[in-house]
Amino acid sequence: MDSALIPKGVKRCPMWQFLLGLGIVGAVLAWGVYAMLLCWFKGLNQTNMNDYYGFALWIWADLAVIALGGGAFFSGLLKYIIGKDELKNIINYAVLIGFICYSSALLILAIDIGQPLRGWFIFWHANVHSMLTEVAFCLSAYFAVLTIEYIPLILENRQLDKVPFFHNLSHNMHETMAVFAATGAFLSFFHQGSLGGVAGVLFGRPFAFREGLLIWPWTFFLFTWSAAAYGPSFTLLITWITEKVARKKLVKDNVVELLAKISGWMIFTYTIAKICDTTRWANITAPGLGQNLADFYTGNAFYGYWILFAEIILGGVVPAIILISAPLRKNPTWRVTAFFLGVMGVSLNRWVMVLQVMAVPIMPFDTWALYYPSWQEVATTILPVAYGIILIMISYRYLPIFPQEAELNPIEEETAMAVEAHTESTPDLKPANA
Amino acid sequence: MKVDRRSFLSFVIGGAAGTALSPLPWKLMDDSSIWSQMWPWTPVPPDGEVVYEDSTCTLCPGGCGISVRKVDSRAVKIEGQSGHPVNDGSICILGLSGLQMLYGPTRIKSPMKRIGERGEGKWQKISWDEAFAILTEKLTDIRDKGEAHTVAALAGSDSGTVPALIQRFMAAYGSPNFMRSPSYRDVDELTVKALFGADGRTGFDVENADYVLSFGSGFVDGWGSPVRMFKAASLWKEKDIPVVQVEPRLSNSAAKATRWIPINPGTEADLALGIAAVMVANGIADTGDVSGLSGWENDLLANYEPQKVAQTTGIDAAVIVEVAKGFARADRPLALCGRGKAQTAVSLRETAAVYILNALTGNINQEGGMWAIPEADYIQWPDVATDNLASAGLDQPRLDGAGTGKYTDARYLTNRLADSVNGGGPYPLQVLLVAGANPCHYLPDTQHVKAAFARIPFIVSFSSFQDETAAMADLLMPDHVYLERYEDVPVGAGLVQQMIGLSKPVVSPQFNTRHLGEVLIMTAKAMGGSIADAFPWDDYETCLEETLAEKWDTLMETGVWVRADTDPVAGSIQLAGLDAPAVQAEGDVNSFPLLLVPYDSIQLTSGYMGEAPFMIKAVSDTVIQGTDGFIEINPLTASGVGLGEGDRATLTTPRGEALVRVHLFEGIQPGVLAMVRGLGHTAYDGYLAGKGVNVNELIGPVEDPSTGFDAAWGIRAKLDKA
Amino acid sequence: MKQAQTHGTPMKYGMAIDLDKCTGCGACMVACMAENNIPFKEDESDKRVSITWMRIFKLTNGKSFPDSDICYLPRPCQHCEGHEGHSPCVSVCPATATDYSRETGIVSQIVTRCFGCRYCMGACPYHARYFNWWDPVWPDGMEKYLSPDVSPRMRGVVEKCSFCFHRYQLAKNKAYLDGERRVPEAAYQTACTQACPAGAIVFGDLNNPEHQVHQIVKPDSNNGNRSRNPKAFRLLERTGTNTKVYYLSSREWVRRAGDNYLAHEKTGQLAKLHH
Ligand SMILES: Nc1nc2c(c(=O)[nH]1)N[C@H]1C(S)=C(S)[C@@H](COP(=O)(O)OP(=O)(O)OC[C@H]3O[C@@H](n4cnc5c(=O)[nH]c(N)nc54)[C@H](O)[C@@H]3O)O[C@H]1N2
Ligand SMILES: Nc1nc2c(c(=O)[nH]1)N[C@H]1C(S)=C(S)[C@@H](COP(=O)(O)OP(=O)(O)OC[C@H]3O[C@H](n4cnc5c(=O)[nH]c(N)nc54)[C@H](O)[C@@H]3O)O[C@H]1N2
Ligand code: SF4
Ligand code: SF4
Ligand code: SF4
Ligand code: SF4
Ligand code: SF4
Ligand SMILES: [Mo]
Repeated sequence: MDSALIPKGVKRCPMWQFLLGLGIVGAVLAWGVYAMLLCWFKGLNQTNMNDYYGFALWIWADLAVIALGGGAFFSGLLKYIIGKDELKNIINYAVLIGFICYSSALLILAIDIGQPLRGWFIFWHANVHSMLTEVAFCLSAYFAVLTIEYIPLILENRQLDKVPFFHNLSHNMHETMAVFAATGAFLSFFHQGSLGGVAGVLFGRPFAFREGLLIWPWTFFLFTWSAAAYGPSFTLLITWITEKVARKKLVKDNVVELLAKISGWMIFTYTIAKICDTTRWANITAPGLGQNLADFYTGNAFYGYWILFAEIILGGVVPAIILISAPLRKNPTWRVTAFFLGVMGVSLNRWVMVLQVMAVPIMPFDTWALYYPSWQEVATTILPVAYGIILIMISYRYLPIFPQEAELNPIEEETAMAVEAHTESTPDLKPANA
Repeated sequence: MKVDRRSFLSFVIGGAAGTALSPLPWKLMDDSSIWSQMWPWTPVPPDGEVVYEDSTCTLCPGGCGISVRKVDSRAVKIEGQSGHPVNDGSICILGLSGLQMLYGPTRIKSPMKRIGERGEGKWQKISWDEAFAILTEKLTDIRDKGEAHTVAALAGSDSGTVPALIQRFMAAYGSPNFMRSPSYRDVDELTVKALFGADGRTGFDVENADYVLSFGSGFVDGWGSPVRMFKAASLWKEKDIPVVQVEPRLSNSAAKATRWIPINPGTEADLALGIAAVMVANGIADTGDVSGLSGWENDLLANYEPQKVAQTTGIDAAVIVEVAKGFARADRPLALCGRGKAQTAVSLRETAAVYILNALTGNINQEGGMWAIPEADYIQWPDVATDNLASAGLDQPRLDGAGTGKYTDARYLTNRLADSVNGGGPYPLQVLLVAGANPCHYLPDTQHVKAAFARIPFIVSFSSFQDETAAMADLLMPDHVYLERYEDVPVGAGLVQQMIGLSKPVVSPQFNTRHLGEVLIMTAKAMGGSIADAFPWDDYETCLEETLAEKWDTLMETGVWVRADTDPVAGSIQLAGLDAPAVQAEGDVNSFPLLLVPYDSIQLTSGYMGEAPFMIKAVSDTVIQGTDGFIEINPLTASGVGLGEGDRATLTTPRGEALVRVHLFEGIQPGVLAMVRGLGHTAYDGYLAGKGVNVNELIGPVEDPSTGFDAAWGIRAKLDKA
Repeated sequence: MKQAQTHGTPMKYGMAIDLDKCTGCGACMVACMAENNIPFKEDESDKRVSITWMRIFKLTNGKSFPDSDICYLPRPCQHCEGHEGHSPCVSVCPATATDYSRETGIVSQIVTRCFGCRYCMGACPYHARYFNWWDPVWPDGMEKYLSPDVSPRMRGVVEKCSFCFHRYQLAKNKAYLDGERRVPEAAYQTACTQACPAGAIVFGDLNNPEHQVHQIVKPDSNNGNRSRNPKAFRLLERTGTNTKVYYLSSREWVRRAGDNYLAHEKTGQLAKLHH
């Protein structure tokens, strides 16, 4: 019955299936919303955060989704600025994923602050010295850009497109997309970086503190770099999952492999940089403040050297090698494994830069602080995931996200189309059928 | 169609733009911030004229001067009174919390009578007239039956006009049963009498001593007058004075001392005598002030030579000799007695040994030494003219047996009250009046005490707070708290001069309460006859002013009266009390391999009164977590029982059992467990009730045969993984 | 950073806390609670959600019985100066809700501007900052003792020790009326200093040679304000937080516990300070 809205030349699951799916994910969403309301109306005592954990699961989720959403700005950069034209076949999806990640990040921030009604103070009383100020400005600006990049996609819906105004609007927007892509890349460079700066500037915390360039600690550059490196991997991972769910191919291999290769080289270079940073920090920075690795990775129940290994080797070196080597990259299993490891690696990095920072004792007489999130924190963190899935379901159903879909999945019996077209054009015949 | 779409679209876009440009969103944002800054449920304290009013703190016997900051009629902060002879501007954690008691929800807000079962907490508000009627009727009935002696009164202290009025009331009414909360005072008075042959109390010139030897006295844990002692301890640091703390546990006082000497619990007397022996043997003792030494010297040298003492105390013989020499050779040495806050009596043997040690330095009644001075006896009232009923009652023996038989020297044996009520007494107790005392929380073997209280037919509590004892009462006649009333505050607390402070009302009574002094005078008048005659004053204030006579003006001006040139009760001492037996811990070693000792913390009132929320907030999470109470245990002992930090365990003593959690502490002797005093309240509110364990429920009184006082310093215990 | 509002050399208020004297009694904690309308809950035993602008830490020398030793360390906000006023917390607050005053050296906390992002808490290595996880509620009747000098904080904002700034304002006004150019030493003392029965806390202007705190600390402005007093140390001095609360101890193990040291490093003898 909603076939009129479905893009031409592609097939979608029956309405009941679609609605059932929406229903299930919607339930999860509702659970998250309930938790969110609890946090807003009862306050943050609903969480397991405490004065040692001012930042916890939520900030991690923020950093993680923003890093993973990095696929949007980087693919945009590659397509519109560098001119990797094949990427037009995946850029839509990259944008959509980016849009989901960034809107989620903003939502989580709105729950995370103790006085949401005063959230705008961050703009009103902005402190130029604070990395968070930089984050707030660039984040919102870039979210605006993503919206602008997402709108033409919406306007390409079969019905909307019939409206000349929308048609022209989206057309013109497409023309100017390069400008937005450039702006997006620029903004992303800064907010990804300043998110890295958030931990790096904490000179009172030897575990987090990093020297750097001008006003920016090394973590600033490492974060931008890692977002650009791992973001595309995430886009590709989600694309793969979508293909599995839709049970059809949506993007051609050459496109996937191109992006995977670029991601691979980025991860490779990033991992080298990360290793240099870690080495310098472990041998110069921390000892200069009287601490050594053992202070950071022993003496507690959770944080051990394993986390270094998991982040840098499993999440860095391994995926880099897989994606760089052509044979491995071309093998879907290896490729997806690499995407998965990469996503794990960058998420773990953000975890370390938020939660382990809070856990490590600083004063010699202080103690390790371990924490586990309350169900309200978990629910509100899953909330954006559910919201993302829903947005993808709807967008995928009604928008031409994957330009190559029709070509990759030609619809066999034309009749189906005919009937649809028919019923559509003459609704008044419907009763007669009965 | 198209037109519609267009116009619709422009409407939407235009509308959006319009709203954005209009002041509306900005106004909303601004309002949101303002509103979130003064949520109606966040209180905004009213401003007003600020004044400071001086008074005296009575939350402990310390006698500090306080200066209360007021905004209009509200008291907002208690500070130390600068220039005051005791505390000169400083104040302790308890004194600071006074306002939470004054305005706290656990105040008893009006007279009440019990309507439910005892301890059930069902009360009915009544008028003061009705309360007086109930009380006088009850007392008159009993007295007319010639049973006046079956009425008893228990007060927190016996010095000052209010306790004196209670005593006078009992005398005129005809009961010998006035009692005072047990404390170190009891044994102090008795020992002073035994050694100096006169009534008086000790004072310690801590400010001028140049060597301090403390037998477990918590000089920064609440001993004596707490703030004065803190200041002295800092003075010692500045002057680099050797301070030796002898104690089985690394208390805060031990940590402040220049040297901590761990000792087997309960063997302090042996060490004191061992040190005395070394001094005598080496001829470094100054026997000028001591008579009767010759008759006892041989025993001393024989029984307390260093090797033997080392055996009992667990302290190296060399250390004993070293300390003895350091102590004796100092110019103004001083030995302190009374464990922790000195809130429980210690054995006569121990007290006498330490006081004699002071005497053997020739520093008695000297600068920097121990003094024995009379209490300021400013309460000069004509004797009570007793009628026949009263005389008959007064001829009866005391319920607690104090002052007779083997207890001739003891004035009060409050620790024996429970036993006598539970059947051990000469006659049944019919009415108990309780003022400024909470025996149902701090008396040892508290369950036993509560059982006894349950058997008392009629209990009247004058407490201002819903404490454990008030919970057992039949009639509540709540007193003002110290910030609402006039009262003279004679200060002992180890001061070397006589001192009287004055409590003044800094705020008007917050609830429908009455001054206890007032209540006593009015009850007496209501009962008429010789009782009324014994109370000639119109009201308490008149009584107080007349009693203080020429001191009144000084007190009204400066808030404190001090007499520095008090003559000591005697210049020299007669050896006594040394043949008194040592007091052993209850329980047999086989079934109870460990020792449990209570310790005092300045952050808790040790059962004195309910801790305010502020104090509980300051308590470490190694003492209470949630409602769990912790015991301190040496890691060696803990691993022996298979316990780790924070583990739960069952602590059993001959008197009771409790679920505790363990805190591993290297500062405590293996085999010894320490539990803080003052927790485990069953009364008061959620800020205090149910937190931790009341150590008094695990420890029973151990009677010192030579005095009759409870001299328990600990009890044998066992610990099992829970 | 706010510019100096008065002429003449700016003040730099700070403390010297003598750990040899401190008994860990907690009077300073409660004096602070009473002075600054600090709320309390039924259960305050979880110290990680317990607001105590002044907190006492218990240090142990790690030796076993009978060589064990303990020391208490009172921890107000250290009023870090960092590098030219960039204290760890001030530099990170996105809303300028906490600020370093060049007039007094006091790190302020503007609770009505704070929107509760808690970045400053992450930045403070001393855990001197506390978040209002709950609405402040006083049991019936107890709100009567609340002081109008310090407004109670609403849920969802961060608060911390202010060096009793309201007392400074009162003293400053008085000094002005009395025609004095500077606030006299005795006229501005913090509630904890005033209460401490052991006299362990000395408070005053580190820049003023007449003030006792200056005489005790003898700050060396050529060496990151490190103290010239061999007994003195600052917490985490080498991180460059450049605190204005100095601690004194005659015990080497205590001084060493004040900062992080590598095994071979000598207590108090560090290379050039960070920043
Ligand atoms: N095991 C053990 N035994 C002890 C002690 C101990 O710590 N442990 N302490 C000993 C000592 S030193 C003492 S002083 C006594 C306890 O000293 P007591 O003098 O018996 O004091 P408490 O009864 O414990 O607490 C004072 C009582 O009076 C109430 N109260 C407090 N302020 C006021 C007031 O302003 N007006 C009125 N009407 N009532 C008030 C309190 O609620 C409490 O019930 O116990 C002694 N015995
Ligand atoms: N923070 C805090 N501090 C406290 C307490 C608390 O609960 N919290 N408890 C307080 C309590 S309840 C008490 S009782 C005290 C210590 O408890 P108390 O024993 O009641 O008072 P002290 O005077 O210190 O007793 C020790 C002194 O008793 C004798 N003594 C004292 N006053 C008199 C007197 O008037 N007459 C005679 N003959 N001898 C006297 C000697 O001076 C001796 O040095 O600790 C107090 N300190
Ligand atoms: S020491 Fe005693 S008298 Fe002095 S303030 Fe504290 S409680 Fe009050
Ligand atoms: S009040 Fe003084 S002695 Fe007590 S803990 Fe605070 S600083 Fe230490
Ligand atoms: S101690 Fe913490 S809160 Fe205070 S100034 Fe330093 S960083 Fe800021
Ligand atoms: S919590 Fe408040 S003070 Fe702290 S950084 Fe955020 S806005 Fe600033
Ligand atoms: S200076 Fe004032 S605010 Fe800071 S801890 Fe002391 S009393 Fe509290
Ligand atoms: Mo007492």
